[in-house]
Amino acid sequence: MTERWSTLDPARLPPYLLTGGRARPVDESLAVEAQVLTTLAGRADAHSLQFEVRDIVELCDEPHAVVEVASALRLHLGVVRILVGDLVASGYLTVAQPRVDPSRRAEIIERVIRGLDKLD
Amino acid sequence: MDSTSSTEPRSDGRYGPSRPLPPIPVKIVIAGGFGVGKTTAVGAVSEIAVLTTEAAMTEVAAEVDRTGHTPEKTLTTVALDFGRITIDSEIKLYLFGTPGQDRFGFMWRDLVEGALGALVIVDTRRMNDCYPAVDYFEKIGLPFVVAVNMFDGALSHDLADVRWALAVREQTPLITFDARSRRSVRDALVAVLNQALRQVTPN
Repeated sequence: MTERWSTLDPARLPPYLLTGGRARPVDESLAVEAQVLTTLAGRADAHSLQFEVRDIVELCDEPHAVVEVASALRLHLGVVRILVGDLVASGYLTVAQPRVDPSRRAEIIERVIRGLDKLD
Repeated sequence: MDSTSSTEPRSDGRYGPSRPLPPIPVKIVIAGGFGVGKTTAVGAVSEIAVLTTEAAMTEVAAEVDRTGHTPEKTLTTVALDFGRITIDSEIKLYLFGTPGQDRFGFMWRDLVEGALGALVIVDTRRMNDCYPAVDYFEKIGLPFVVAVNMFDGALSHDLADVRWALAVREQTPLITFDARSRRSVRDALVAVLNQALRQVTPN
């Protein structure tokens, strides 16, 4: 029986099973490109967490965008937004720089243009 | 020296207060109808394989779902293409290719928030497919460029006709490009960013 579970692909589970039936995240403003980072508390408690939630906390020891978490763990993006929101609320994850500071917008755009110019 | 905590496995700077700052994420949305070349365009410039992920979960009102008796919710999924370009040591550019607005508005509202701009890809054989994107981006004031994908290297319509058919404003750039070509897609993205720059510093 346990073997059956271990071979289950989480991406094939109905998404609401992972989110307690919720379809929207706690934090509606959580951007799909926002960088997620595990806190020291998250690192300390990771071993006591389970399944997807633990995978997220372990993965985000290195910063990952919300969408990158979904891709790396093969989870539904909508599910990840909800789980990340929960983990931020419980202090295990933090979201860094969710938006470009409007005062730096022109500078950032110019740097992106220069970066793209280097692609060949 | 590890002086932070004895429970720290190692002190190589990543685990303590001196962890490096995460990158600044910026994004460009690539919109357009089904089969117009969004996945191809993202793949042409992305440094990672394009990942198509299921994106949207939407609560649906009971009367919409006539097939079942559960009044609570149904899940709607929308495929989302995602690619990435590392710009410099600080900035990562994320590209999101989306078929567009689902019936409930989830996708664009969430994706477009904070985007630098958008590229709307047009197939001149099915111009109507991109109209909702043009309409929506104009409405919310997101800088965008309309790009006709040259599938066969030939334009089947005059660009002026395309502009007229889509009712694209004069100030919105209308370009042609080849979604398969890295340079061509790069140039289209630069066109989007130049348009974004014009809207940050108008004159």
